[in-house]
Amino acid sequence: MKKHRTFTAIILVTVAAFVFTFAAGCASQTPAGKLDSQKQLKIGCSICFTGTAAEKGQPIGQGELDAWKYINDELGGVDGNKIEIVWYDTGYNAAIATTNVKKLMDDGCLFFTIVSSYDATASKEAANKAGFPALVIFSSPSLTNPPAHIYSQLPDYGDDWAAFTNYYLKNIWKGPGKPKMALEILSNSTGYGVRDAAKVAAADLGVDIVTIEEHKTTTLSETDALTRIKEKNPDILFIGSTPAPTSVILKNAYQLKLIPGMTVACGHAGFTKALIDLSGKQISNDVYGVFPTVNWGDNVPGMAKMDEYCKKLHPQYVGNNDYLCGWSASLINAEIIRQALKNSTLDVLTSGDSVAWKAGEEKGFRMVKGYDVEGLHGPVDFSDPVDRRGSKSVKIFQIQQGEMVPLTGWVDAPYIKYE
Amino acid sequence: MSLPCGIRNYSYATDTAIIRTKTQWTLFIVFLLIVFTFPFYFPRFWLDVMNLIGITTIAIIGLNILVGYCGQLSIGHAGFMAVGAYTTAILAGSYHMPFLLALLLSGVSAGLIGLLFGIPSMRVKGFYLAITTIAAQFIIIWVANHWTDVTRGSMGLGVEAASIGPLIFDTEASQFFLIISITVLCVLFATNLARSRIGRAFIAVRDNDLAAKVMGINVFAFKLLAFFLGCFFAGIAGSLFAQWRGHITPEDFTFSQSILYIGILIIGGLGTSIGPIIGTVFIRLLEQCVTLLAPLVERSLPGIPSGFATGLSPMIFGLIMVLFLVLEPKGLAHRWNLFKASYRMWPFSY
Repeated sequence: MKKHRTFTAIILVTVAAFVFTFAAGCASQTPAGKLDSQKQLKIGCSICFTGTAAEKGQPIGQGELDAWKYINDELGGVDGNKIEIVWYDTGYNAAIATTNVKKLMDDGCLFFTIVSSYDATASKEAANKAGFPALVIFSSPSLTNPPAHIYSQLPDYGDDWAAFTNYYLKNIWKGPGKPKMALEILSNSTGYGVRDAAKVAAADLGVDIVTIEEHKTTTLSETDALTRIKEKNPDILFIGSTPAPTSVILKNAYQLKLIPGMTVACGHAGFTKALIDLSGKQISNDVYGVFPTVNWGDNVPGMAKMDEYCKKLHPQYVGNNDYLCGWSASLINAEIIRQALKNSTLDVLTSGDSVAWKAGEEKGFRMVKGYDVEGLHGPVDFSDPVDRRGSKSVKIFQIQQGEMVPLTGWVDAPYIKYE
Repeated sequence: MSLPCGIRNYSYATDTAIIRTKTQWTLFIVFLLIVFTFPFYFPRFWLDVMNLIGITTIAIIGLNILVGYCGQLSIGHAGFMAVGAYTTAILAGSYHMPFLLALLLSGVSAGLIGLLFGIPSMRVKGFYLAITTIAAQFIIIWVANHWTDVTRGSMGLGVEAASIGPLIFDTEASQFFLIISITVLCVLFATNLARSRIGRAFIAVRDNDLAAKVMGINVFAFKLLAFFLGCFFAGIAGSLFAQWRGHITPEDFTFSQSILYIGILIIGGLGTSIGPIIGTVFIRLLEQCVTLLAPLVERSLPGIPSGFATGLSPMIFGLIMVLFLVLEPKGLAHRWNLFKASYRMWPFSY
């Protein structure tokens, strides 16, 4: 009897929580046509704070939110307008990511950001169908090809591969003929972005793809895949994955004595401080990486403020370039809003409906030309009707004594035609 | 099958009816009226959540036939949904097939693939069978990823909005009417199936397949039928999912979803007709609840450590799941039956 009472109490509490959530969910929406008395601009953020990509989602998401704090508190918002940030966790769950888009629409957001290509893949149809524009921080080519209402902040995972391949052929490859490349990719849009680009452009660039192996985000060992790769005797191993699986692959590659000897390169989804933290000191100079931002601590205008906020609010992410990407995303969003305010009206932009979204895209996104992001990454331009990548350049890095050391300045990531 | 105090049946037809009293009919009609007026007062987001609940309910009904009634443990249900989703995307997209026909064929194609993976049930059962169904999940998704000429791999396939004659289901509200109508039909079909000769045979196979065989039941045929029906529902759910989402990729049908579906069924109540509905509503709302909770906590308590609020959500989700399994292992359907029993006995407490 006591057990029944306890259980009934739990059910009642759970039902109360549902009702509360439901009420909160309904209350926060701004129905179309009804303006808030203060006409506050709202921007949505759909962030994978939890789930299997949390090691990236957390620094990126906190970087985004901290930058908005800086913009609102120190700069007084955008052109005097404080920006309200509405954010939800996706849990790296496609169903939640999809419903989050509808929630952000109901909340009256002008546009929204998505952290990962996985969440963006789940969200893109709902956003494209409604014409609700989005900025994807880490993206796959499938999100912006064909172009619709999704924009990517940085070059995509396919561009990483192309940029590194170009660098390798010009600076590292000394042998005759074409170098042999193996791909070890994540079995989702992150990895398939690399695969899709390699299929389209490998022959033109001058490399032979000898094998493509896939892994899961939860992989604990890639010995089998690497053994098969070793049999093909490739010159380069390109890893298109997130930090945790990349660290597993590197560890296994050392165990199988693939490294040192073979050149290993990591796409930007996996090439971050978290990779070094997870892999420890075993990473040698044979490991290269591509990343689309400057390095932490570089002398660029936006670094000092970002470093100050990171040390103050999230010191655990100091030195983490993912945080830098999130921070930069908010600076870009502020620039989009600035352009939208210049070319449209606050009434239109705060209407919270398709009219606002269209204005946000046409008068905001598309008007951003050559914005320098305070030097934190390559200049951003969304004016091209086909190429929806904001920044179009990356840097090539090498890991030296546990640090990511840049080998190049900005390297062009050429637009790849997928159709 | 008990009735409220003072009421009894006077004919075989009323005794076997699903809805038997005037009160039940009234409640049922009022419930349907309330549900079908949701689009008039709920925002897009909640309609979308309800659409997802409807789709998941159909998938879980299929899983309930397979696991709950027939006792064939399957951990590849999301894979079978993928078959239905891709069938719809291809038939409706490339061949411009009418929606209803594509929907039906999606169910049939998933059912046939389910039959194929049900063949091992002749030799293995329990956890061993579960492992063979895991293979279905991975093989189907592998094919979806690599048969790029048809599925476009990770790029995915776009799916046109469903239409029946002049009706186009391209908004959250119109999709709601379509999805919930099909869900109601599926619930009625599954409820009747469970009370039929086939349903009783499934239960016999589940409880003791040797005894079922001695009674003259063709155990293997009924196991295969359960696989077909279970996967047919998964195919229907997949087809609706494709229409709802408008674009599908292999990433939409993950192994963790298959595990979640089993969790939903256990929490709802295995082998009951109400279990899949209650379980789905509970888990899908809980997901949304914890999603909305983190920003709310962080706004209300600005001093909490970084990451605490977001970490809270999965912890609460896990804790509630554990509490339910410990305190109510028979599922929420059992709790619902206790509630109904107390209503039937009212005003007497014995």
